[in-house]
Amino acid sequence: MTPQLQQLEINPQCRLTLVAENALLLSWCAKVCSAQHQDIINIQHLITEHFGAALISAVASYHCLMLYLPPQLLLSAQTSHIIKQIVSRYYQTKAGSKTNTTANTIQIPVYYDTAQQWDLAEVARRCKMSVEQVIELHTSQHYRGYALGFTPGFCYLASLPESLHLPRRASPRLQVPQGAVAIAEQQCAIYPVASPGGWHIIGQTPLAMYSTQQGQFSATIAVGQNVQFRAISKAEFTALAPGSTQ
Amino acid sequence: MTSNYFEIIHAKGHASIQDLGRLNAQHLGFSASGAADEYAFLTANQLISRNLQLDPVKQSSCAAIEITLGQLTLRAQASCTIAITGADCQASINNTVIDNWQCHQLSRGDILAFAMPKSGLHSYLAIKGGFSCQAKQQPWLGSLAQTQNEMPLGFTGNPLTLGSKLYFIAQPASQTPTRQQSVKHDINFYATEQLTLRFMANPLFLKMSARQQQTFFATDYVISADSNRMGYRLKPKAKNITATPAPILSSALRQQCLLSMPVTYGMVQLPANEQPIVLMKERQTMGGYPVLGTVMQTDLFRLSQMRPGANVNFRLINPQQAIQQLLAFYQKFNEL
Repeated sequence: MTPQLQQLEINPQCRLTLVAENALLLSWCAKVCSAQHQDIINIQHLITEHFGAALISAVASYHCLMLYLPPQLLLSAQTSHIIKQIVSRYYQTKAGSKTNTTANTIQIPVYYDTAQQWDLAEVARRCKMSVEQVIELHTSQHYRGYALGFTPGFCYLASLPESLHLPRRASPRLQVPQGAVAIAEQQCAIYPVASPGGWHIIGQTPLAMYSTQQGQFSATIAVGQNVQFRAISKAEFTALAPGSTQ
Repeated sequence: MTSNYFEIIHAKGHASIQDLGRLNAQHLGFSASGAADEYAFLTANQLISRNLQLDPVKQSSCAAIEITLGQLTLRAQASCTIAITGADCQASINNTVIDNWQCHQLSRGDILAFAMPKSGLHSYLAIKGGFSCQAKQQPWLGSLAQTQNEMPLGFTGNPLTLGSKLYFIAQPASQTPTRQQSVKHDINFYATEQLTLRFMANPLFLKMSARQQQTFFATDYVISADSNRMGYRLKPKAKNITATPAPILSSALRQQCLLSMPVTYGMVQLPANEQPIVLMKERQTMGGYPVLGTVMQTDLFRLSQMRPGANVNFRLINPQQAIQQLLAFYQKFNEL
Protein backbone atom coordinates (compact mmCIF):
# COMPACT_ATOMS: atom_id res chain seq x y z
CA MET A 1 0.00 0.00 0.00
CA THR A 2 1.37 3.40 -0.92
CA PRO A 3 0.61 6.41 1.28
CA GLN A 4 -2.46 8.29 0.11
CA LEU A 5 -3.29 11.82 0.97
CA GLN A 6 -6.66 13.40 0.77
CA GLN A 7 -5.44 16.77 -0.30
CA LEU A 8 -6.61 19.75 -2.34
CA GLU A 9 -4.34 22.43 -3.76
CA ILE A 10 -6.41 25.57 -3.34
CA ASN A 11 -3.84 27.95 -4.77
CA PRO A 12 -0.03 28.04 -4.88
CA GLN A 13 0.09 29.28 -1.28
CA CYS A 14 -2.59 27.21 0.36
CA ARG A 15 -3.57 23.54 0.50
CA LEU A 16 -6.18 21.57 2.41
CA THR A 17 -5.38 18.15 3.92
CA LEU A 18 -7.49 15.64 5.82
CA VAL A 19 -5.28 14.98 8.86
CA ALA A 20 -7.61 13.05 11.19
CA GLU A 21 -11.11 11.55 11.30
CA ASN A 22 -12.39 14.90 12.58
CA ALA A 23 -9.84 17.42 11.33
CA LEU A 24 -8.90 19.24 8.14
CA LEU A 25 -5.75 21.33 8.03
CA LEU A 26 -5.36 24.40 5.84
CA SER A 27 -1.65 25.18 5.51
CA TRP A 28 0.29 28.05 3.99
CA CYS A 29 4.02 28.80 3.55
CA ALA A 30 5.91 28.21 6.80
CA LYS A 31 6.79 31.81 7.61
CA VAL A 32 6.07 34.50 10.19
CA CYS A 33 4.20 37.08 8.09
CA SER A 34 1.47 39.37 9.38
CA ALA A 35 -0.22 39.74 5.95
CA GLN A 36 -0.47 35.96 5.46
CA HIS A 37 -1.62 35.57 9.07
CA GLN A 38 -4.35 38.19 8.54
CA ASP A 39 -5.58 36.14 5.55
CA ILE A 40 -5.69 33.06 7.81
CA ILE A 41 -7.78 34.89 10.43
CA ASN A 42 -10.13 36.34 7.80
CA ILE A 43 -10.63 32.86 6.32
CA GLN A 44 -11.18 31.46 9.83
CA HIS A 45 -14.06 33.96 10.27
CA LEU A 46 -15.60 33.08 6.89
CA ILE A 47 -15.43 29.33 7.59
CA THR A 48 -16.83 29.77 11.12
CA GLU A 49 -19.68 31.83 9.67
CA HIS A 50 -20.43 29.24 7.00
CA PHE A 51 -20.43 26.13 9.18
CA GLY A 52 -21.93 27.64 12.33
CA ALA A 53 -22.48 25.10 15.10
CA ALA A 54 -21.24 22.23 12.90
CA LEU A 55 -17.69 23.54 13.27
CA ILE A 56 -16.33 22.11 16.54
CA SER A 57 -13.31 24.42 16.71
CA ALA A 58 -10.97 26.34 14.38
CA VAL A 59 -7.40 26.84 15.61
CA ALA A 60 -5.15 29.35 13.83
CA SER A 61 -1.37 29.62 14.05
CA TYR A 62 1.52 31.20 12.08
CA HIS A 63 0.85 29.28 8.88
CA CYS A 64 -1.97 26.84 9.61
CA LEU A 65 -5.67 26.70 10.34
CA MET A 66 -6.92 23.47 11.91
CA LEU A 67 -10.65 22.85 11.37
CA TYR A 68 -12.35 20.35 13.67
CA LEU A 69 -15.53 18.97 12.12
CA PRO A 70 -17.75 15.93 12.83
CA PRO A 71 -16.44 12.78 11.07
CA GLN A 72 -19.77 12.45 9.19
CA LEU A 73 -19.02 15.71 7.36
CA LEU A 74 -15.57 14.45 6.32
CA LEU A 75 -16.81 11.22 4.75
CA SER A 76 -17.58 12.91 1.46
CA ALA A 77 -15.31 15.24 -0.46
CA GLN A 78 -18.04 17.87 -0.44
CA THR A 79 -16.90 19.56 2.77
CA SER A 80 -13.41 20.01 1.32
CA HIS A 81 -14.87 21.53 -1.81
CA ILE A 82 -16.95 24.01 0.19
CA ILE A 83 -13.82 25.08 2.11
CA LYS A 84 -11.87 25.35 -1.13
CA GLN A 85 -14.58 27.62 -2.52
CA ILE A 86 -14.59 29.85 0.57
CA VAL A 87 -10.80 30.25 0.40
CA SER A 88 -10.70 30.81 -3.37
CA ARG A 89 -13.48 33.37 -3.22
CA TYR A 90 -11.69 35.16 -0.37
CA TYR A 91 -8.54 35.58 -2.46
CA GLN A 92 -10.55 36.70 -5.52
CA THR A 93 -12.43 39.44 -3.64
CA LYS A 94 -9.30 40.43 -1.76
CA ALA A 95 -7.44 41.05 -5.05
CA GLY A 96 -9.98 43.69 -6.01
CA SER A 97 -10.23 45.49 -2.68
CA LYS A 98 -8.04 47.16 -0.12
CA THR A 99 -7.34 44.99 2.90
CA ASN A 100 -8.23 46.30 6.27
CA THR A 101 -5.74 45.32 8.97
CA THR A 102 -6.17 48.05 11.56
CA ALA A 103 -6.17 45.90 14.68
CA ASN A 104 -5.94 47.78 17.96
CA THR A 105 -2.76 47.59 20.05
CA ILE A 106 -2.76 46.31 23.62
CA GLN A 107 -0.17 47.69 26.05
CA ILE A 108 1.38 45.18 28.44
CA PRO A 109 3.07 46.67 31.53
CA VAL A 110 6.23 44.74 32.44
CA TYR A 111 8.45 44.93 35.48
CA TYR A 112 11.94 44.06 34.19
CA ASP A 113 13.48 43.06 37.49
CA THR A 114 17.25 43.13 37.31
CA ALA A 115 17.60 41.88 40.89
CA GLN A 116 15.46 38.75 40.43
CA GLN A 117 17.05 35.38 39.76
CA TRP A 118 15.33 35.00 36.37
CA ASP A 119 17.09 35.25 33.01
CA LEU A 120 17.32 38.98 32.21
CA ALA A 121 21.02 39.31 33.07
CA GLU A 122 21.89 36.08 31.28
CA VAL A 123 19.96 37.11 28.17
CA ALA A 124 21.89 40.41 28.14
CA ARG A 125 25.20 38.58 28.48
CA ARG A 126 24.39 36.04 25.76
CA CYS A 127 23.15 38.75 23.40
CA LYS A 128 26.26 40.84 24.18
CA MET A 129 24.43 43.92 25.37
CA SER A 130 23.45 45.66 28.61
CA VAL A 131 20.26 44.86 30.55
CA GLU A 132 18.99 48.36 29.65
CA GLN A 133 19.52 47.64 25.96
CA VAL A 134 17.52 44.38 26.26
CA ILE A 135 14.62 46.33 27.86
CA GLU A 136 14.91 49.09 25.26
CA LEU A 137 14.86 46.58 22.38
CA HIS A 138 12.03 44.53 23.86
CA THR A 139 9.77 47.55 24.46
CA SER A 140 10.51 49.29 21.15
CA GLN A 141 9.12 46.46 19.01
CA HIS A 142 5.49 45.96 17.91
CA TYR A 143 4.39 42.33 18.19
CA ARG A 144 1.47 40.39 16.79
CA GLY A 145 -0.48 37.56 18.43
CA TYR A 146 -0.11 34.59 16.07
CA ALA A 147 -1.62 31.69 18.01
CA LEU A 148 -3.19 30.73 21.33
CA GLY A 149 -2.05 27.45 22.79
CA PHE A 150 0.31 25.62 25.13
CA THR A 151 -1.94 26.61 28.05
CA PRO A 152 -5.23 28.58 28.00
CA GLY A 153 -4.54 32.25 27.28
CA PHE A 154 -0.89 31.68 26.27
CA CYS A 155 -0.43 33.75 23.10
CA TYR A 156 2.56 33.27 20.78
CA LEU A 157 3.87 36.75 19.87
CA ALA A 158 6.29 37.59 17.07
CA SER A 159 8.69 38.83 15.99
CA LEU A 160 11.33 39.57 18.55
CA PRO A 161 14.20 41.86 17.36
CA GLU A 162 16.79 39.59 15.78
CA SER A 163 19.55 40.54 18.22
CA LEU A 164 17.47 38.97 21.03
CA HIS A 165 16.99 35.58 19.35
CA LEU A 166 18.14 32.75 21.63
CA PRO A 167 17.36 29.01 21.51
CA ARG A 168 15.10 27.62 24.26
CA ARG A 169 16.70 26.79 27.61
CA ALA A 170 18.51 23.44 27.53
CA SER A 171 16.14 22.08 30.16
CA PRO A 172 12.76 23.62 30.96
CA ARG A 173 12.01 25.07 34.41
CA LEU A 174 9.50 23.09 36.47
CA GLN A 175 7.80 26.29 37.61
CA VAL A 176 7.57 29.62 35.85
CA PRO A 177 5.58 32.32 37.74
CA GLN A 178 2.22 33.67 36.61
CA GLY A 179 2.68 36.67 34.32
CA ALA A 180 6.27 35.75 33.35
CA VAL A 181 7.28 37.52 30.13
CA ALA A 182 9.54 35.15 28.25
CA ILE A 183 11.41 34.89 24.95
CA ALA A 184 12.64 32.04 22.73
CA GLU A 185 13.93 32.17 19.15
CA GLN A 186 11.85 34.83 17.34
CA GLN A 187 8.93 34.51 19.77
CA CYS A 188 7.78 36.18 22.95
CA ALA A 189 4.94 35.16 25.31
CA ILE A 190 3.40 35.63 28.74
CA TYR A 191 2.64 32.65 31.00
CA PRO A 192 -1.03 33.04 32.13
CA VAL A 193 -0.60 30.77 35.17
CA ALA A 194 2.37 29.25 36.96
CA SER A 195 3.46 26.28 34.83
CA PRO A 196 6.58 24.51 33.57
CA GLY A 197 8.35 26.46 30.83
CA GLY A 198 11.49 26.40 28.70
CA TRP A 199 11.68 30.02 27.57
CA HIS A 200 13.95 32.77 28.98
CA ILE A 201 12.14 34.94 31.53
CA ILE A 202 13.00 38.62 31.19
CA GLY A 203 10.21 40.22 33.21
CA GLN A 204 6.79 39.88 34.76
CA THR A 205 3.44 41.55 34.10
CA PRO A 206 0.77 42.19 36.75
CA LEU A 207 -1.88 42.06 34.01
CA ALA A 208 -4.17 38.97 34.00
CA MET A 209 -3.86 37.06 30.73
CA TYR A 210 -7.48 35.93 30.72
CA SER A 211 -10.85 36.72 32.23
CA THR A 212 -14.03 34.74 32.69
CA GLN A 213 -17.59 35.93 32.61
CA GLN A 214 -20.74 33.81 32.80
CA GLY A 215 -18.92 30.61 31.97
CA GLN A 216 -17.06 32.16 29.03
CA PHE A 217 -13.29 32.44 28.78
CA SER A 218 -11.58 35.28 27.01
CA ALA A 219 -7.86 35.65 26.47
CA THR A 220 -6.45 39.13 27.12
CA ILE A 221 -4.42 38.96 23.90
CA ALA A 222 -6.46 37.82 20.90
CA VAL A 223 -4.97 36.08 17.88
CA GLY A 224 -4.32 38.81 15.31
CA GLN A 225 -3.98 41.56 17.91
CA ASN A 226 -0.98 43.91 18.10
CA VAL A 227 0.99 44.04 21.33
CA GLN A 228 3.50 46.42 22.82
CA PHE A 229 5.38 46.15 26.12
CA ARG A 230 5.88 49.07 28.50
CA ALA A 231 8.45 49.06 31.33
CA ILE A 232 7.07 49.77 34.82
CA SER A 233 8.66 50.18 38.24
CA LYS A 234 8.43 47.73 41.12
CA ALA A 235 5.97 50.09 42.89
CA GLU A 236 3.69 50.13 39.83
CA PHE A 237 3.93 46.34 39.56
CA THR A 238 2.91 45.91 43.20
CA ALA A 239 0.05 48.39 42.82
CA LEU A 240 -1.30 46.68 39.68
CA ALA A 241 -0.77 43.09 40.85
CA PRO A 242 -3.94 41.06 41.51
CA GLY A 243 -4.88 41.08 45.18
CA SER A 244 -3.19 44.46 45.71
CA THR A 245 -4.96 46.60 48.28
CA GLN A 246 -3.97 49.88 46.65
CA MET B 1 -27.17 19.00 52.09
CA THR B 2 -27.21 16.22 49.55
CA SER B 3 -25.91 12.82 50.56
CA ASN B 4 -25.82 11.61 46.97
CA TYR B 5 -22.10 11.16 46.75
CA PHE B 6 -19.17 8.81 47.09
CA GLU B 7 -16.32 9.77 49.37
CA ILE B 8 -12.79 8.71 48.52
CA ILE B 9 -11.43 6.96 51.62
CA HIS B 10 -8.19 5.64 50.09
CA ALA B 11 -6.32 6.88 46.99
CA LYS B 12 -2.91 5.73 45.85
CA GLY B 13 -3.17 5.80 42.05
CA HIS B 14 -4.51 8.62 39.88
CA ALA B 15 -8.20 9.32 39.41
CA SER B 16 -9.97 12.09 37.51
CA ILE B 17 -13.38 13.04 36.16
CA GLN B 18 -13.62 12.42 32.41
CA ASP B 19 -16.21 12.62 29.67
CA LEU B 20 -15.87 12.97 25.90
CA GLY B 21 -13.78 16.13 26.31
CA ARG B 22 -13.68 19.83 25.58
CA LEU B 23 -13.05 19.81 21.84
CA ASN B 24 -14.75 23.13 21.17
CA ALA B 25 -12.33 25.24 23.28
CA GLN B 26 -9.07 24.31 21.56
CA HIS B 27 -8.86 27.74 19.89
CA LEU B 28 -8.55 29.26 23.39
CA GLY B 29 -5.68 26.93 24.28
CA PHE B 30 -7.65 24.38 26.32
CA SER B 31 -6.65 20.76 25.92
CA ALA B 32 -9.44 18.62 24.43
CA SER B 33 -8.84 16.11 27.26
CA GLY B 34 -11.53 13.44 27.93
CA ALA B 35 -11.61 9.69 28.64
CA ALA B 36 -8.37 7.98 27.58
CA ASP B 37 -10.16 4.80 26.50
CA GLU B 38 -13.50 5.69 24.93
CA TYR B 39 -14.32 2.02 24.41
CA ALA B 40 -14.34 1.28 28.15
CA PHE B 41 -15.86 4.69 28.99
CA LEU B 42 -18.75 4.33 26.53
CA THR B 43 -19.35 0.70 27.52
CA ALA B 44 -19.69 1.77 31.17
CA ASN B 45 -22.30 4.38 30.25
CA GLN B 46 -24.06 1.92 27.93
CA LEU B 47 -24.35 -0.58 30.81
CA ILE B 48 -26.02 2.13 32.89
CA SER B 49 -28.43 3.23 30.15
CA ARG B 50 -29.47 -0.37 29.37
CA ASN B 51 -29.98 -1.37 33.00
CA LEU B 52 -31.90 1.74 33.96
CA GLN B 53 -33.56 2.20 30.56
CA LEU B 54 -32.14 5.63 29.86
CA ASP B 55 -31.57 7.46 26.59
CA PRO B 56 -28.25 5.92 25.42
CA VAL B 57 -27.10 9.03 23.54
CA LYS B 58 -27.67 11.30 26.53
CA GLN B 59 -26.00 8.95 29.00
CA SER B 60 -23.02 8.34 26.65
CA SER B 61 -21.60 11.81 27.28
CA CYS B 62 -22.07 11.74 31.08
CA ALA B 63 -18.89 12.09 33.13
CA ALA B 64 -17.37 8.98 34.69
CA ILE B 65 -14.45 8.48 37.06
CA GLU B 66 -11.29 7.42 35.23
CA ILE B 67 -9.17 5.37 37.63
CA THR B 68 -5.57 4.90 36.53
CA LEU B 69 -3.75 1.91 38.04
CA GLY B 70 -6.56 1.25 40.52
CA GLN B 71 -5.83 1.59 44.24
CA LEU B 72 -8.92 3.65 44.94
CA THR B 73 -11.51 3.01 47.66
CA LEU B 74 -14.83 4.81 47.94
CA ARG B 75 -17.74 4.79 50.36
CA ALA B 76 -21.25 5.19 48.96
CA GLN B 77 -23.26 7.72 51.00
CA ALA B 78 -26.48 6.78 49.18
CA SER B 79 -27.75 3.73 47.32
CA CYS B 80 -27.06 3.72 43.60
CA THR B 81 -26.41 1.63 40.49
CA ILE B 82 -22.87 1.75 39.11
CA ALA B 83 -21.06 0.23 36.14
CA ILE B 84 -17.38 -0.71 36.09
CA THR B 85 -15.28 -1.35 32.96
CA GLY B 86 -11.73 -1.11 31.63
CA ALA B 87 -8.59 -2.45 33.28
CA ASP B 88 -9.61 -5.26 35.68
CA CYS B 89 -8.96 -3.98 39.22
CA GLN B 90 -10.52 -6.96 41.02
CA ALA B 91 -13.09 -4.49 42.28
CA SER B 92 -14.95 -5.46 45.43
CA ILE B 93 -18.03 -4.38 47.38
CA ASN B 94 -17.46 -4.79 51.14
CA ASN B 95 -14.54 -7.13 50.36
CA THR B 96 -16.54 -9.40 48.00
CA VAL B 97 -15.00 -9.40 44.52
CA ILE B 98 -17.43 -8.31 41.78
CA ASP B 99 -17.40 -8.78 37.99
CA ASN B 100 -15.80 -6.22 35.72
CA TRP B 101 -17.79 -4.96 32.63
CA GLN B 102 -21.03 -5.14 34.69
CA CYS B 103 -23.56 -3.06 36.59
CA HIS B 104 -23.78 -3.40 40.36
CA GLN B 105 -26.12 -2.14 43.05
CA LEU B 106 -24.70 -0.35 46.09
CA SER B 107 -26.43 0.50 49.35
CA ARG B 108 -25.68 3.40 51.63
CA GLY B 109 -22.42 2.74 53.50
CA ASP B 110 -21.05 0.15 51.04
CA ILE B 111 -17.31 0.20 50.43
CA LEU B 112 -16.25 -0.06 46.78
CA ALA B 113 -12.54 -0.87 46.37
CA PHE B 114 -10.34 -1.03 43.27
CA ALA B 115 -7.03 -2.91 43.52
CA MET B 116 -4.04 -2.43 41.22
CA PRO B 117 -4.89 -4.07 37.86
CA LYS B 118 -2.65 -6.89 36.58
CA SER B 119 -2.86 -5.51 33.05
CA GLY B 120 -4.19 -2.37 31.40
CA LEU B 121 -4.19 1.10 32.91
CA HIS B 122 -7.56 2.83 33.05
CA SER B 123 -10.81 1.67 34.67
CA TYR B 124 -14.13 3.51 34.56
CA LEU B 125 -16.81 3.98 37.17
CA ALA B 126 -20.07 5.26 35.67
CA ILE B 127 -23.42 6.28 37.13
CA LYS B 128 -26.78 7.60 35.91
CA GLY B 129 -26.38 11.28 34.93
CA GLY B 130 -22.63 11.20 35.60
CA PHE B 131 -20.33 12.35 38.39
CA SER B 132 -19.13 15.79 39.39
CA CYS B 133 -16.71 16.80 42.12
CA GLN B 134 -18.93 19.62 43.39
CA ALA B 135 -22.67 19.50 44.07
CA LYS B 136 -24.59 21.02 41.13
CA GLN B 137 -21.36 21.61 39.20
CA GLN B 138 -21.77 23.21 35.78
CA PRO B 139 -19.64 21.91 32.91
CA TRP B 140 -16.73 24.19 32.00
CA LEU B 141 -16.84 25.07 28.27
CA GLY B 142 -19.08 22.11 27.59
CA SER B 143 -17.26 19.46 29.61
CA LEU B 144 -16.43 18.29 33.13
CA ALA B 145 -13.16 16.64 31.98
CA GLN B 146 -10.18 17.37 34.22
CA THR B 147 -6.80 18.17 32.64
CA GLN B 148 -3.80 17.93 34.93
CA ASN B 149 -2.00 20.97 33.48
CA GLU B 150 -5.14 23.11 33.74
CA MET B 151 -6.06 22.27 37.34
CA PRO B 152 -4.34 25.48 38.65
CA LEU B 153 -6.93 27.50 36.66
CA GLY B 154 -9.61 26.08 38.96
CA PHE B 155 -12.41 25.69 36.37
CA THR B 156 -13.04 21.96 36.91
CA GLY B 157 -12.91 21.55 40.68
CA ASN B 158 -10.08 20.03 42.66
CA PRO B 159 -7.94 17.02 41.78
CA LEU B 160 -9.47 13.83 43.19
CA THR B 161 -7.78 12.75 46.40
CA LEU B 162 -8.45 11.37 49.87
CA GLY B 163 -11.67 12.98 51.18
CA SER B 164 -12.93 14.13 47.75
CA LYS B 165 -16.66 13.79 47.22
CA LEU B 166 -18.07 12.54 43.92
CA TYR B 167 -21.65 13.73 43.51
CA PHE B 168 -24.40 12.09 41.48
CA ILE B 169 -28.12 12.66 41.02
CA ALA B 170 -30.60 11.09 43.44
CA GLN B 171 -31.68 7.58 42.51
CA PRO B 172 -35.00 6.08 43.66
CA ALA B 173 -34.40 3.05 45.87
CA SER B 174 -36.66 0.95 43.62
CA GLN B 175 -34.30 1.40 40.72
CA THR B 176 -32.39 -1.75 41.63
CA PRO B 177 -31.44 -3.59 38.46
CA THR B 178 -33.51 -6.75 38.82
CA ARG B 179 -31.90 -8.64 35.99
CA GLN B 180 -28.45 -8.13 34.62
CA GLN B 181 -28.88 -6.72 31.15
CA SER B 182 -25.37 -7.49 30.19
CA VAL B 183 -23.70 -5.68 27.36
CA LYS B 184 -21.58 -8.09 25.41
CA HIS B 185 -18.27 -6.33 25.39
CA ASP B 186 -15.88 -7.40 22.70
CA ILE B 187 -12.96 -9.06 24.45
CA ASN B 188 -11.07 -8.89 21.18
CA PHE B 189 -11.10 -5.08 21.17
CA TYR B 190 -7.75 -4.84 22.96
CA ALA B 191 -4.40 -6.07 21.70
CA THR B 192 -2.93 -8.97 23.63
CA GLU B 193 0.73 -8.41 22.80
CA GLN B 194 1.92 -6.16 20.00
CA LEU B 195 -0.44 -3.39 18.86
CA THR B 196 -0.34 -2.25 15.25
CA LEU B 197 -1.21 1.43 15.07
CA ARG B 198 -2.99 2.24 11.83
CA PHE B 199 -1.63 5.52 10.59
CA MET B 200 -2.73 8.18 8.09
CA ALA B 201 0.25 9.78 6.35
CA ASN B 202 0.52 13.54 6.17
CA PRO B 203 2.25 15.72 3.54
CA LEU B 204 5.63 15.61 5.32
CA PHE B 205 5.57 11.80 5.24
CA LEU B 206 5.15 11.86 1.46
CA LYS B 207 8.25 13.99 1.09
CA MET B 208 10.31 11.28 2.77
CA SER B 209 12.08 8.73 0.57
CA ALA B 210 10.46 5.31 0.07
CA ARG B 211 13.33 3.84 2.07
CA GLN B 212 12.71 6.17 5.03
CA GLN B 213 9.00 5.38 4.93
CA GLN B 214 9.77 1.66 4.93
CA THR B 215 12.15 2.06 7.86
CA PHE B 216 9.38 3.74 9.86
CA PHE B 217 6.89 0.93 9.15
CA ALA B 218 9.47 -1.82 9.69
CA THR B 219 10.56 -0.52 13.11
CA ASP B 220 9.22 -2.15 16.24
CA TYR B 221 8.78 0.43 18.99
CA VAL B 222 8.63 0.01 22.77
CA ILE B 223 6.40 2.27 24.93
CA SER B 224 8.62 4.39 27.23
CA ALA B 225 8.08 4.84 30.95
CA ASP B 226 7.45 8.58 30.55
CA SER B 227 4.22 8.02 28.62
CA ASN B 228 1.02 9.49 30.08
CA ARG B 229 -2.40 10.92 29.25
CA MET B 230 -0.71 13.71 27.25
CA GLY B 231 1.43 11.57 24.99
CA TYR B 232 2.94 8.16 24.42
CA ARG B 233 6.69 8.20 23.87
CA LEU B 234 8.10 5.38 21.78
CA LYS B 235 11.66 4.07 21.47
CA PRO B 236 12.92 1.86 18.64
CA LYS B 237 13.37 -1.68 19.92
CA ALA B 238 17.06 -2.48 20.39
CA LYS B 239 18.36 -4.69 17.60
CA ASN B 240 21.71 -6.37 17.19
CA ILE B 241 22.99 -3.96 14.62
CA THR B 242 26.28 -2.17 14.85
CA ALA B 243 25.80 0.53 12.23
CA THR B 244 23.78 3.61 13.17
CA PRO B 245 20.65 3.53 11.02
CA ALA B 246 19.99 6.39 8.64
CA PRO B 247 17.53 8.93 10.14
CA ILE B 248 13.85 8.58 9.30
CA LEU B 249 13.56 12.33 8.82
CA SER B 250 16.39 14.12 7.01
CA SER B 251 17.66 17.37 8.48
CA ALA B 252 16.54 19.16 5.29
CA LEU B 253 12.93 18.10 5.90
CA ARG B 254 13.27 18.84 9.61
CA GLN B 255 14.26 22.43 8.72
CA GLN B 256 10.85 22.87 7.06
CA CYS B 257 9.01 22.22 10.34
CA LEU B 258 10.32 24.85 12.74
CA LEU B 259 7.12 26.82 13.35
CA SER B 260 4.59 25.70 15.98
CA MET B 261 1.29 24.54 14.51
CA PRO B 262 -2.06 23.19 15.79
CA VAL B 263 -1.86 19.50 16.63
CA THR B 264 -4.57 16.94 17.20
CA TYR B 265 -5.31 13.56 18.80
CA GLY B 266 -3.10 10.78 17.48
CA MET B 267 -0.58 12.92 15.64
CA VAL B 268 2.86 11.30 15.54
CA GLN B 269 5.60 13.82 16.27
CA LEU B 270 9.22 13.01 15.56
CA PRO B 271 11.66 15.03 17.72
CA ALA B 272 15.36 15.14 16.77
CA ASN B 273 16.10 11.98 18.80
CA GLU B 274 13.85 10.08 16.31
CA GLN B 275 11.73 8.70 19.15
CA PRO B 276 8.11 9.23 18.09
CA ILE B 277 5.54 10.81 20.41
CA VAL B 278 1.89 9.87 19.83
CA LEU B 279 -0.35 12.69 21.08
CA MET B 280 -3.08 11.45 23.42
CA LYS B 281 -6.19 12.99 25.06
CA GLU B 282 -4.45 15.55 27.28
CA ARG B 283 -2.26 16.88 24.44
CA GLN B 284 -1.63 20.58 24.18
CA THR B 285 -3.28 22.38 21.29
CA MET B 286 0.00 23.49 19.64
CA GLY B 287 3.14 21.54 18.84
CA GLY B 288 6.58 22.40 17.54
CA TYR B 289 7.94 19.03 16.38
CA PRO B 290 7.62 17.63 12.84
CA VAL B 291 4.44 15.53 12.40
CA LEU B 292 4.58 12.40 10.21
CA GLY B 293 0.88 11.53 10.32
CA THR B 294 -2.00 10.56 12.58
CA VAL B 295 -2.95 7.28 14.27
CA MET B 296 -6.65 6.43 13.84
CA GLN B 297 -8.74 7.07 16.95
CA THR B 298 -10.02 3.54 17.59
CA ASP B 299 -6.39 2.37 17.80
CA LEU B 300 -5.61 5.22 20.23
CA PHE B 301 -8.28 3.90 22.62
CA ARG B 302 -6.44 0.55 22.52
CA LEU B 303 -3.04 2.22 22.93
CA SER B 304 -4.22 4.15 26.01
CA GLN B 305 -4.53 0.86 27.93
CA MET B 306 -1.00 -0.30 27.07
CA ARG B 307 1.77 -0.04 29.61
CA PRO B 308 5.41 0.99 29.24
CA GLY B 309 7.46 -1.89 27.86
CA ALA B 310 4.74 -3.07 25.45
CA ASN B 311 5.49 -3.15 21.71
CA VAL B 312 3.83 -1.22 18.92
CA ASN B 313 4.40 -0.70 15.21
CA PHE B 314 2.78 1.41 12.50
CA ARG B 315 0.84 0.44 9.39
CA LEU B 316 -0.78 2.61 6.73
CA ILE B 317 -4.50 3.21 6.54
CA ASN B 318 -6.46 5.37 4.15
CA PRO B 319 -8.27 8.28 5.92
CA GLN B 320 -11.70 7.29 4.58
CA GLN B 321 -11.37 3.83 6.13
CA ALA B 322 -10.41 5.40 9.47
CA ILE B 323 -13.49 7.67 9.37
CA GLN B 324 -15.78 4.74 8.54
CA GLN B 325 -14.36 2.67 11.39
CA LEU B 326 -14.82 5.50 13.88
CA LEU B 327 -18.42 6.10 12.80
CA ALA B 328 -19.17 2.36 13.07
CA PHE B 329 -17.55 2.38 16.53
CA TYR B 330 -19.83 5.19 17.78
CA GLN B 331 -22.91 3.70 16.11
CA LYS B 332 -22.69 0.64 18.41
CA PHE B 333 -23.03 2.89 21.46
CA ASN B 334 -25.99 4.86 20.16
CA GLU B 335 -28.24 1.80 19.83
CA LEU B 336 -30.67 0.85 22.56
